[in-house]
Amino acid sequence: MKHRSLALAVSVVTVGALALTGCGSSTPGGETDENTISFWQNQFSEEDNAWYKEQVAAFNAAHDDVQIKLTVVPGDAWEQKMKAAQAAGNAPDMYTMNYSAVPMKARNGELAPITDLIDQEAWNDLEPRFLDAVTVDGEQYAYPLLYEPSALLLYNKAYFEAAGLDPANPPKDWDQLIDAGLALKDADANVVPFQLAQNAVELSWTTWSSQNGTAGHLPISDDWSESLASDPAYTPLFQFYQDLYAKGVIAKQPLSPYGDAAPLGEGTLAMMANGSWGISLLINQYPDMIENLGVAAMPTIDGDTSRSSATLGGWTIGVDAKSKKTEAAASAVSWLLAEDTAVPKDYFIKTQFSKLSPRISVAAELAEDSGKSVNPFYDVLVESTKSAILEPTYDWQVSLAMGTALEKAMLGGDVAEAQAEADAAITKVIADLGLAEQKNG
Amino acid sequence: MASRITIGETSRGARRTRRAPRDTVIAFVMLGPALVLLGIFVIWPMVYSAYLSFFDWSFYQESVFVGFDNFRRVLTDQVFIESVGRGLLFALIVVPVQLTLAFIFASLVATVGRRLATALKVSVFIPTVISTVIASIVFILIYQYHGGLANWVIGLLGIPPQAWLADVALALPSMAVPAIWLGLGIAALIMLAGLLDIPVTYYEAAELDGANWLQRTFRITLPLMRNIILYLAIAGFVANVQQFELPLVLTKGGPQNATMLPNLLIFSHFRDDITVGYSIAAAFLLFIVMGTISALIFRFLNSAQAED
Repeated sequence: MKHRSLALAVSVVTVGALALTGCGSSTPGGETDENTISFWQNQFSEEDNAWYKEQVAAFNAAHDDVQIKLTVVPGDAWEQKMKAAQAAGNAPDMYTMNYSAVPMKARNGELAPITDLIDQEAWNDLEPRFLDAVTVDGEQYAYPLLYEPSALLLYNKAYFEAAGLDPANPPKDWDQLIDAGLALKDADANVVPFQLAQNAVELSWTTWSSQNGTAGHLPISDDWSESLASDPAYTPLFQFYQDLYAKGVIAKQPLSPYGDAAPLGEGTLAMMANGSWGISLLINQYPDMIENLGVAAMPTIDGDTSRSSATLGGWTIGVDAKSKKTEAAASAVSWLLAEDTAVPKDYFIKTQFSKLSPRISVAAELAEDSGKSVNPFYDVLVESTKSAILEPTYDWQVSLAMGTALEKAMLGGDVAEAQAEADAAITKVIADLGLAEQKNG
Repeated sequence: MASRITIGETSRGARRTRRAPRDTVIAFVMLGPALVLLGIFVIWPMVYSAYLSFFDWSFYQESVFVGFDNFRRVLTDQVFIESVGRGLLFALIVVPVQLTLAFIFASLVATVGRRLATALKVSVFIPTVISTVIASIVFILIYQYHGGLANWVIGLLGIPPQAWLADVALALPSMAVPAIWLGLGIAALIMLAGLLDIPVTYYEAAELDGANWLQRTFRITLPLMRNIILYLAIAGFVANVQQFELPLVLTKGGPQNATMLPNLLIFSHFRDDITVGYSIAAAFLLFIVMGTISALIFRFLNSAQAED
C-alpha cells in the first residue's frame, strides 16, 4: 500500500511536470489555420478600434477563401507580447506599427517587402513623404493608414478670459507661453496652467520636433556617425523646460500621461500640449467643453511658424517576414488601406476628422466632405502639419538620451551638464550599436 | 544538544550502511520530478542564455558571435551599474523595516485573544493576495500631486504638496512604502508561526528567573527564530532587488532613473532593443550579483539547528 501510494505520488508529479513542459510549445496567439491571417492591432481609442473591428468583419464577409483574425493588444503589453511571439516564431502575419518603426524593422529583416503585392497605383496615390517613410532601399515594407501631428496647443478659452488673456491670440513663442502660464496661475491657483510631456520617456519622442525646430537638426549627424547633442543651439530648449518647471507653469507631477487630454476636459488644466487625437477625445468625452476649447500650433522658440513644432506620427500595417501567408496578408493590407477609398475614409469619419490621410485621393475626398465640420479645428490641424517633420528612425536609445537630459534640466539640473551627458550617451550608442554602419548599410 | 546529534547521526549512519541501495533509489525517485523541472526551467535556460550572451542575436537575423562585447556594453553602462546599486539600496530600505514591522505585528498577535488574532491575521494578509499591479495603481492615486491622499494628509500638518513620484529624492522611498506593505503579510504570518512554535515553558522559566520583556525577546525569541529571520531576509532581499512591477507601473523607472531597478532596466532593453544581447548579458550579470549576495548572507548568518 505504501509503495502504491508512493508510485501514485511520483506519477502525478511526473505527469504534472510533463504537462507543464508541454505548455512551452503553446503559441502566444500568432499561429492560425491555413486560411486565416492573424492580425495584431494596437489598442487605440474606442473610435479607432471600432473601425478595425468593423472593417475586418467587412473583409471577412467579402472573402470566402481567406479570413482575418483580429487581436487587439494594449499599448503597454505590445512589445513584450510581440517579442515573445517572435522568439517562439509565431509573430502575427500582419500588424500595426508607426512610421518610425518601419525602416528599423525592415533593416532588421522583420518585415516582408510588399512592393509587388500591392497595386502600383496605390503606391502612386501616397504623398511622397509617406511613401518615403515606408521605403527602404527601393522596396516598400508597409502601407500607411493615417498621419497626425504629435503636438498642438490645446487651451481653455474661458480660463484665458478670466486671466485677462486674449483667447483669439494664443501664445506663439516660448516667452509668451510662460507669461500666459504665469497669468493663468495668478488668476486661479487651483488650476494647473500648462502641461506637456514631463518625464524622460515621453520627452524622448515628443521633443523630436522642437529639437529639430530649435537647432535646425536632430541630435545625431545625418549619417548617424556623430552626436550633435552638445550643440549650443539646443541650450534654449533645455532652458525652456527648466523655466517652465522652476516658475511653476507646469505642475511638479503631471496630472496625466502625455496624450491624455482628460485634465483639460475636467477643467483642472488650462493649457496642454497634445497630439491631434486629444481633440477627438475631448469631442467624444467632454462635449460640453468644446465651446471653450482653443487649438493652435505649438509655440516655437521665437514664434517663427516655419520651425517644426510637431512630428507627423501615424500608423501603418506591414507583413511579418516569417509569415507563411505573405501574399494573402498583403492583399488584406491592400483591401483595408489601399483600394476602395470608402474603407480608409470611414476611419477618418469615425475619428471625427482629427487625423489626416497620407493617400492623395482619400485626402481630397476628406477635404470636400461637409462632415468635417464636426472638428472645428480641422484647418488648424492641416496647417500645423506643414512645418512638421517625420519621426526619426534611429535607435530609441538616442532619443532616450535626449529625453533623460531634458528631464534633468527640467528638474533643475545644470543645462550644460545635461547636454554633455546626452552627448556622451549618444556617442556610446553610436559605437555600441554601430549606428553609422546601420544607416549606410 | 551535541550529544543528541551524535546519537542521531550514529543510528542514521548504521541504518544507511544496511539499507543504502534502496534508500538511494527512493531518494532519487523523490528528487526526480524536482530535478526534471529544475533542469528544464532553470538549468537549461541558464546554460543556453550563458551561451547566447556571447552572440548578437535578434529573432530575424543570423546570430553573430561577439565574444564578451555584450558584457562590455553592460559593464560600461553607468545606468546598469547604478541600477544594481539602487536595487541593493531599495532592498536595504524595504527588508529591515518590513521584518521589524512583521516581528512587532507577530508579537502582538501572539499575545491577544483568538478572535482578535484571527481578525488581525486576515487584515495583515490581505495585501499579500492583492496583485502588485493593482497595488501600484492604488498608490498612483494616493501619490497624485493634486487630490492625492498623501498630499492631503501632509496638508493637514501644514506641509506643502510633494511630487512623490516625480521628485528624484522622494521617488525611491515612496516606492518602498507599497513594497513594505505588500510583503508584510506573509512575513508576519511566517514569523507568527515561528513564534508560536517556541515552547511557552521557556518564557515561564525566564519570568520566574526575573527576565523582563527585552531580555526574553533577545535571549529566547530572536535566537530561536534565527532560521526564520534568515529565510525572510534572503527571500526579501532577493525579491526586492529584483522588484519589477512597482517601478514599471508607478514611475517607469523615472525621474532621472531614480527608481530604475535592474530588472526594469533589463526589461526595457529587451523591449526596446532590436537585438537581445544586452538584456541577456545584463540578466546574467545580475544573476551573478544576486548569487554572490545570497551566499554572503548565508555565510554571515549561518543557519543552525534550533536550540530546543
